Amino acid sequence: MFALLEEAGFKRVRSTIVPGFAFRKESTRDAAESYGVKAALFTARKEGAP
Amino acid sequence: MTDVALPHAEEQGPPLPIEGVIKGEVLRMYQEVAQHPDAEFHFYHGRPAAEMFGYEPEWLDRAPAGAVASFAGVGNPHLRSRLQAGEVVLDLGSGAGLDSIIAAWQVGPPGRVHGVDLNSEMRAKAEAHAREAGLANVDFLDGRMEEIPLPDGAIDVVISNGVINLSFRKRRVIRELFRVLGPGGRISIADIVSAKQLSQSIVNDPKLWAS
Repeated sequence: MFALLEEAGFKRVRSTIVPGFAFRKESTRDAAESYGVKAALFTARKEGAP
Repeated sequence: MTDVALPHAEEQGPPLPIEGVIKGEVLRMYQEVAQHPDAEFHFYHGRPAAEMFGYEPEWLDRAPAGAVASFAGVGNPHLRSRLQAGEVVLDLGSGAGLDSIIAAWQVGPPGRVHGVDLNSEMRAKAEAHAREAGLANVDFLDGRMEEIPLPDGAIDVVISNGVINLSFRKRRVIRELFRVLGPGGRISIADIVSAKQLSQSIVNDPKLWAS
C-alpha cells in the first residue's frame, strides 16, 4: 500500500500499525499471524495549495 | 483480507473470472453484517470494534445505534483525518455510515461528505442512519472504488476503513483517490496489509477475501 501511494504521486506517506486489531476467529487469527497480516493507518498528501 | 496487488499490466486488463466470484462473496458477507449485526463474523464489528480502535464514546452514544452495530472497520481514520469545517470528504466504502456520520459532524453544514459503496443494502442503511442523525450534508453514492463516481479534484479529504484490501486492483483504486483529491488534499485510511506475499490458494479463496 505504501509503495502504491508513492507510485500514484502522494507525498508525505506515513503509516502506523493499528493497535488492538485482531481477527475474532482463532483459525483466521492464526493464519493471519503467519502471514504478518496487520491493520495499519495510512496518511498521505497530494501536493499543491488547497 | 489480502494485500495482493495485480501486476501492472493485468490491472489495465478486463476483469479476471475470479474477481467476479470474490466480489460476490464480499458483497454477501457485508450484506450479512447489514442484515444481522448481532451475528458472529471472522472479524470484530459493532461497538466493541469501534471502542477497540479508539472511537470517542460520545460519538458512539450520539450516532444511530444501527450505524454503530454494523460498523465493520479495521481502525480509526478519524485519528489522523484532522477534518475542518467546510471540507468535502469522501468516505470510500461507507458501509452502514458510521464514519460518514462522524465526518459530517466534523465538517459541519458548510462541508459535505460523499459515501461511496457498491452494496445497495449498506447504502440504504447508511442513508437511513444519516436521516436519523438529522444530517443534510451527507449523501451515499453507488459506485466501485476502482471507478469513483466523482469528478477530478472534487475532494479535500479521503477517509476509508478496511475496504481497499478487498479490491484486486489496488493500484487503480489508489490512482482514483489521487484523481478525486484536489491540490493539498489528503487521505487517512485504515486498512489490512500483509508482510508476506500470500499463497495462490489464499488469493483464490473468496471466503478469505471476505474475512
